[in-house]
Amino acid sequence: MRAKQILLLTALVLLPVLVSGQQLPKRHVKKANAQTAAWRYEVEPTDIATQGSVTVKVYSFSKKPQVAQEQARKNAVHGVIFKGVPAHGRVPGKKALVTDPTVHEVFFDTFFADGGDYGRFVTLTNSGAIAAGDVMRTSNKEYKVGVSATVAYDQLRSYLESHGVVRKLGAGF
Amino acid sequence: MKKILLTLALAVLASTAFGQAKKPIIMIVPSDNFCFQHGYMNEFDNMGTTERIPDYDRALLEDSNLNLAIIKLGEMMTERGFPLKDLAASLRTLKTQSAQDAVRTSEDGYALAESPLDKLKKTANADIWMQLGYTINKTGPKQSLTFTLQGLDAYTNKQIAAASGTGPQTFTVEVPVLLEEAVISYIDGFNNQLQMHFDDLFTNGREVAMELRAWDNGEVNFFDEYNGEELGFLIEYWMDDNTVNGRYSTVASERNYIIFEQVRIPLENERGTPIDLRRWANNLRTYLNREYGISARLETIGLGKVIIIVGGK
Repeated sequence: MRAKQILLLTALVLLPVLVSGQQLPKRHVKKANAQTAAWRYEVEPTDIATQGSVTVKVYSFSKKPQVAQEQARKNAVHGVIFKGVPAHGRVPGKKALVTDPTVHEVFFDTFFADGGDYGRFVTLTNSGAIAAGDVMRTSNKEYKVGVSATVAYDQLRSYLESHGVVRKLGAGF
Repeated sequence: MKKILLTLALAVLASTAFGQAKKPIIMIVPSDNFCFQHGYMNEFDNMGTTERIPDYDRALLEDSNLNLAIIKLGEMMTERGFPLKDLAASLRTLKTQSAQDAVRTSEDGYALAESPLDKLKKTANADIWMQLGYTINKTGPKQSLTFTLQGLDAYTNKQIAAASGTGPQTFTVEVPVLLEEAVISYIDGFNNQLQMHFDDLFTNGREVAMELRAWDNGEVNFFDEYNGEELGFLIEYWMDDNTVNGRYSTVASERNYIIFEQVRIPLENERGTPIDLRRWANNLRTYLNREYGISARLETIGLGKVIIIVGGK
């Protein structure tokens, strides 16, 4: 009886660890990646300017809210690079770092691959905790999930400059 | 083998040393409007008319917020790999230089030769001026900050980049913090426009103006003919060959003067050495002397304008 209780207790302790460590469904991740490539996400600035970084709220779409939450990191960096950040109230926006995604396609395929370098430049606020009202069911089969993320803008630009994707200010002089 | 390696090393060194155009010097100054609003102006009598010029020295000494904004902008430009020339340091150098010149004499007791024009030209110089200004707006207990940053090309006086706007209203945030936020918010947009200006420089060359005049001694005028062609047209043919894609406008062409505007000159010569307007225009002066025996004097006005006076020095 005592052994059974110990086993049950162990199972209860390990369950959340196993669940959280479980990989997200591959087909949903693949679909989320396709949506990122198709610009299907929304980015809006949420904070006043801070030196070297930009804080945004990213809305991603997926059948699984967890997938959308995870995809927010990728979408935040993708948005800052290719879409720019729109102005918010009296806070001016930022222009896209790269205007044509096809020019350095090979570089960005690697950069945005799962586990790619993009992850070095983004941090989810409150470990990606979703605020009340930031999960919306847009249809029977899809959720829109908003997550706050901080993108290390200056570091990202320097990284892209060092890889020849973005030109340095005054390059050529 | 050693010789080959040495030659290769020298070739690489030469290409890296001379293969780049001159990097523009950028300096931040408080805008004229800011200096006037805060009383940082010097007044002098110009033949009966009172003229006002900004007193940068006093503005930097007395306004801590201005200093903060200039330092912040400098810091952010350095991070982008484009360090700025410091206004305060430049002003100090000019003062030291003037003091040294005043006491410098030769062994025979002669002072340094300096014309009034020389004195006028010895001011702080830059290729691009960043004019900074800000205003604190108060509405009851709330305050906000309006920020302006204007980039002017010293060659043409054209605005090449700008950023301006008013930040959010606040009850508690101090002015230095508002100013810092404004600099951080606007500098990226400003730098994007600056980059566009640099791209234009590389593609179309630097924009300058040139004037040709004739001395009143009757020796040479621009209607004189050489091998059946008027001098004015011969000069235009030279311009066709020596401007970027033949880009220039002949604003006026008369007997005693020719005015060229929107002249696009290359950033480097055929050897890859960076050149400025004075060196580029000197090519025309030597060309006139070599091909047609016309002696001429070359004078520069600021960075972006040159006058060639034909018919003697």
